[in-house]
Amino acid sequence: MPEATPAIETRDLVIRFGKFTAVDGVSFTVRRGEIFGFLGANGAGKTTTIRALCGLLAPTSGEVRVAGLDFSNGGNAIKSKVGYMSQKFTLYNDLTVAENLAFAAGLRKLDPEAAAARTRELLGFIGFDHPLGAMVRDLPGGLKQELALAAAILHDPEIIFLDEPTAGVAPAARERFWGLIGRLTDSGKTVLVTTHYMDEAEHCGRIALMRAGRLIALNTPEALKSLAFPGPMLEATTEDPRVVSELSGRPGVLSVQPYGMRWHLSLQDKTAWKSLAATLPPGLTLRHIAPSLEDVFIRLVEGGER
Amino acid sequence: MSLDFSPGRALAIARKEIRHILRDPFTLTLALGLPLVLVVFFGFAIDFDVRGITLVIHDSDKSRISRQFAEIFASSGYFLAVEPAPGSGVLRELDTARASGVLLIKPDFARRLIGGRTAQTQFVLDGADNTRASAILGYLPGILRAARHRLTQDGPAERITLSTRFLYNHELNTRWFVIPGLAVIVMGLLAIMLTALTVAREWENGSMELLLSTPVRPWEIILGKLAPYLILGLIGAVFIYLTARLGFGVPFRGSHLLYFLLCLLFLTASLAQGLLISVATRQQQLAMQLSIITGLLPSLLLSGFVFPIESMPVFFQYFTSILSQKWFMMISRGVFLQGSGALDLARPILGLSVIAGVLLTVAAKRFKKDLEP
Repeated sequence: MPEATPAIETRDLVIRFGKFTAVDGVSFTVRRGEIFGFLGANGAGKTTTIRALCGLLAPTSGEVRVAGLDFSNGGNAIKSKVGYMSQKFTLYNDLTVAENLAFAAGLRKLDPEAAAARTRELLGFIGFDHPLGAMVRDLPGGLKQELALAAAILHDPEIIFLDEPTAGVAPAARERFWGLIGRLTDSGKTVLVTTHYMDEAEHCGRIALMRAGRLIALNTPEALKSLAFPGPMLEATTEDPRVVSELSGRPGVLSVQPYGMRWHLSLQDKTAWKSLAATLPPGLTLRHIAPSLEDVFIRLVEGGER
Repeated sequence: MSLDFSPGRALAIARKEIRHILRDPFTLTLALGLPLVLVVFFGFAIDFDVRGITLVIHDSDKSRISRQFAEIFASSGYFLAVEPAPGSGVLRELDTARASGVLLIKPDFARRLIGGRTAQTQFVLDGADNTRASAILGYLPGILRAARHRLTQDGPAERITLSTRFLYNHELNTRWFVIPGLAVIVMGLLAIMLTALTVAREWENGSMELLLSTPVRPWEIILGKLAPYLILGLIGAVFIYLTARLGFGVPFRGSHLLYFLLCLLFLTASLAQGLLISVATRQQQLAMQLSIITGLLPSLLLSGFVFPIESMPVFFQYFTSILSQKWFMMISRGVFLQGSGALDLARPILGLSVIAGVLLTVAAKRFKKDLEP
């Protein structure tokens, strides 16, 4: 396959379940070797889109091309080219590590020798240091997810779909998992990943934001930030919360979002910042910050819902 | 069926399914314990036979013929002659529960018979125990027929015993009747209950997503999942067969090959029923409840296992035809006790085939619809 072919291409993808439209005219392209993030609230249509891209769901209308293949063969051609790790833990708790991997190899029709070699390679890749005869149920959560990843990519797919792979996993293990994702794309794989953790999304090359079945933004994390917040971003600290609410009425102040014990202020431009700094209420301190993806998410996704 | 069927993938699923069975204490207990409990329960504890009915004979005639008549009763095998209670009143034995029946022979018994007239005797029965009484009533015509033969024609003894024989189960041994029926209950229940859990478990665990994300075909999943339970069901069948032959001395008069093939057919129908439940419910608990309701109750109540279908209301006689258990009950008893061949069993075989075919098709269709994008 020529390198120029995109890993994933969708055009006007629509998926309906009865009257409910889960995915509503989504178009995007994922380049080879990219970490492509999918962000959105629950029910935004991320998982449905991924299932269609993995060949598990037929598009109601629109086009899907994954690894250059379309859906004409009922998705089965696609299934052999992609690896999919679903939101739910899909390994069998009552089987051992070796048995689970052997089962995945059997489903992929790998011959035993190739499967054994590939298993060794992947266990080395995830740094697995438990006995292969250990029951999966006895492993820690982060390790289970890494093992599920290994099972999903046992057949060495070009494109890997990870649906919330780090949900419910300890922070250190999450960091480790993202390290693995980075190494996969370094070796030329394409990874499409969804997550709820905004700090993780910073690892992505590009991010697609979904809301109510629609794609509302698609760009690099930096571009998304400057797009959502063209003006300065400030963090307000005060002992007296009442003065903050007064700020939101000022000219040039776009939004005031509570952020734990602090507030994030988004301003229209530098002029607004100057006029605000000149008339600062007493007891309030402001400092410049760079917007995080969480700010972007709140502004673009949640802001749109109001 | 899809052209790209892969035996390898079906085998991978079967292997995994066997591991699940071996690791799950519930499945193992059910598979091994259920046949055992049922055999003990139905084989030993439940006996529909009524034997050793205590009988008092009041022979007021005391002739040669009347003594002979009384002797026929006493030696029929069903009755145990007891001495009349002291005192007066003919039915005092029944009142004091010393005996369950009293045979009264009138003083002119021999005289009337010789004179070519009808000789009447009276059999008084303790009707308090309904089951017992009706069983005794069932024995009477045979004994009477034997007596008539012997007393009026004075024919050879062999001819007399012949007319009291019950076909296929001379001794009216209910165990002979019950044990081949147990094969139906055990195999059916095992197959339905165990398969009902398999697909539902994959949905509940989320591991169905893993299966779906691979190029595995629905038929590979179906065959891979059913094969281990087919084997488990056959092990159950062998267990019942050995128990029947070695434990209870039940004769096996038919063809072993035929019985094996028909066991496979019945298991297929039951497995398909379990699969349909599993595919339709997608929840283990619901699937379990449904499989007990549709697997155990009809087997016990409507298959003819305990209650003869012929004596059910007309509606139920037809209704039971949709139960695979009814047909296999006829097959199992026929092959065991009557030595029936395929031709004799054409009707139940046809019925069972239709049920197996319909269940498997519906289950597979439904499953395919769920699985295919």
